[in-house]
Amino acid sequence: MLRIEHYSKTYPGGKKAVDDLTLHVRPGEIYGFIGHNGAGKTTTLRAVAGVMDFTEGTITIDGHDVKKDPVGAKRVTAFLPDNPDLYEFMKGIDYLNFIADLYDIPADQRTADIGKFGDAFELTGNLGSPIGSYSHGMRQKLALISAFIRRPRLLILDEPFVGLDPSASHIMKGYLADLCRGGSAVFFSTHVLEVAEKLCHQIAIIKDGRLVKCGPTDELVGDSSLEDVFLELEGDK
Amino acid sequence: MKKFFALLKVSVKSMLLSSSGMGRKNRKKAATGIGAILLIAGLGLYLSGLYSSMLMQVLAPVHMEVLVFIFMGMAALVGGMIFTAFAAKGVVFGGKDNDLLLSMPVSSTALMASRVTAIYLENLLFSLFILAPAGAVCAFMTQGDVGHSLMFWVRLLVAVLALPLLDTALSVLMGALVAFVSAKLAKGGVIGQNIVMALYMVLVFWFAFNLNGMLEGLAADAMGVKESLSWAAPMLWMADGIMGDWTALLLFALCCAIPFALMVFGLGKVYRKAVTAFAARSARNDYKLSAQSAAGQKKALLRMELRRLFGIPMYFWNSCIGLMMLVAMGVAALVMRSDLRMYLGMLEGFPLMPLAALMMGFCLSMTAIAAPSISLEGKYLWILREAPVGERELLGLKTGFELLFSIPCTVIAGVCLTIALELPPLEGAALLAAVLLFDLAHAVFGMLVGLAFPKLDAVNETVVVKQSMAVMLGMFVPMAVLGLCALLYWVGGMASPALAMALPLALLAVLAAVCTLILVKKGPAMLRAL
Repeated sequence: MLRIEHYSKTYPGGKKAVDDLTLHVRPGEIYGFIGHNGAGKTTTLRAVAGVMDFTEGTITIDGHDVKKDPVGAKRVTAFLPDNPDLYEFMKGIDYLNFIADLYDIPADQRTADIGKFGDAFELTGNLGSPIGSYSHGMRQKLALISAFIRRPRLLILDEPFVGLDPSASHIMKGYLADLCRGGSAVFFSTHVLEVAEKLCHQIAIIKDGRLVKCGPTDELVGDSSLEDVFLELEGDK
Repeated sequence: MKKFFALLKVSVKSMLLSSSGMGRKNRKKAATGIGAILLIAGLGLYLSGLYSSMLMQVLAPVHMEVLVFIFMGMAALVGGMIFTAFAAKGVVFGGKDNDLLLSMPVSSTALMASRVTAIYLENLLFSLFILAPAGAVCAFMTQGDVGHSLMFWVRLLVAVLALPLLDTALSVLMGALVAFVSAKLAKGGVIGQNIVMALYMVLVFWFAFNLNGMLEGLAADAMGVKESLSWAAPMLWMADGIMGDWTALLLFALCCAIPFALMVFGLGKVYRKAVTAFAARSARNDYKLSAQSAAGQKKALLRMELRRLFGIPMYFWNSCIGLMMLVAMGVAALVMRSDLRMYLGMLEGFPLMPLAALMMGFCLSMTAIAAPSISLEGKYLWILREAPVGERELLGLKTGFELLFSIPCTVIAGVCLTIALELPPLEGAALLAAVLLFDLAHAVFGMLVGLAFPKLDAVNETVVVKQSMAVMLGMFVPMAVLGLCALLYWVGGMASPALAMALPLALLAVLAAVCTLILVKKGPAMLRAL
């Protein structure tokens, strides 16, 4: 589903944020991407989502090269940044319709999906209000709904649990699993290692822009815990 | 005091960064920014000097030089209010760093004062650009030696420093009113803000037109005009003060300083409360989902742009005021065509078509829908970057959005003026062609400068719409092009009338084509690089 081959990103001034990263996410997989602050997680996710240009390597989503066919790649992707700023001058329902229009989602399908996800995240009643009046958590939920209604082949999430209440986190995890059962894939970054350990089929650990370890969660963790493995690799233990 | 200056430094730095590009790492862009500021300053000084000398020519022979300062002072007051009243709501009450700064150990009065002082500095520039040339004109053209003494310049300096205090007090009170209305009318907040701003603009324009009427009667009865201005006593005190009356100057300074101080300390006391009240909006929980309808990508993007334009009053009023003036000018010319023809009869032999084209071009230059469009995306840019829309299509759509409004307005005004001025069909067609080409070049150029000088981290929309480099360049460079067109018309006219029309048309066609080509070729990469 997602193939990252020898991806590197150098910022103006010469700082290499990510160095020669190769990583494959298969359909039906939830892939966790962990690392300390500034390790290069967000830079990678933004490049995969087509939000950020990159210098070297190739990224392919469902057969679409992010550089050569960006529109095709974006059509099968949904991306949620760590702090999703949404148009404050729009009402929640207007924003969802805006996204649905950009992705050519038929009227019946969008009505059904907005109702389903809106009710699940307890946001339907608020959809008539301007986004400017939403709390941080409500914005996060709206952004999540806008991602789920796209029924993406690849869902990219940057720190999705930040700002969500426990109930919404639980619901989201359920929908991520549903999405993968339907043949899609999820690629997300997180600092919540317990969640990553329980939720992910595969995990990659990145340090200073370089991939230091990746593989199936069971194999990576072994008899230890993800926290121990992570701290050991980071040299903090 | 130390804290106040630290806060002021932040406000001023943000203002300078957004409007001049000073401090940018890219030296080329910073230099362009500073160059543009100097160009605008030069233009301001030139216009003010021109009007002051025109007035002085009429008034100096009757020893009524004092009226020059009254009128230029009024111009500075009105100009400052137009530019900063809309900004005050965003800068003083709507700063996105309010939470951060209010959580710090600084008094809310100091914070309020620092924000207000940033507005004062902006008004100070207005006051300086308008009153200083008037002073210079007075020094050279007055019959007495009043303008030759050092004390004259000291008194002028006091007036220059004091006038923006009054301007700022009025602008901030206006900003507070707009913020209050939008907070109180939770559902119709945007409509409420627009109504307040519309009333305000009507008031300002009514004042400006009355001022114009007074100017017309100057030559006949200067003393009578001065006496009729008793309602604007502070301006009379200022002018008398500059001309030598220290008591009047003191009265004027007090008249400016007291409202300013009352406003700073009064609003400062309730600043925290006001900011909280103005920002408090809670989401309603009564929405019932019904069947939704689908639209295409282009329609969705256009709807989004429409919601932004009409949902942010600051953006709407700043961007569309030129178009409103354009249509109003055309319709007014048509309705009052008999009066207009009588007045134009006095300008026998003066070419009306280029005059109409210049006036229409001026109104179009003031339209800034495309120029701030990219900067207004700001923190939301990720939404469009993530969307399955090609960069070229996106830029084309944003540019087309300005043309969607400006083309109908241009055609309406062009047709009205053609009829009102009784232009021959060929001249009418040339007028429309020239202005439409200018319109196209202006919109595309606006998008290009928006990409070249983005302000994606602005604390609010006010900074983008009022102070960003892209908006300034998008307005003033097209005005300079108008000047070039006028020059070409004059040069061409020396050979033949046909060449006079052809040269500006050719220039505009080339500019429109070049700007479009650059946008198509380089625009996507520029957008990607942001």
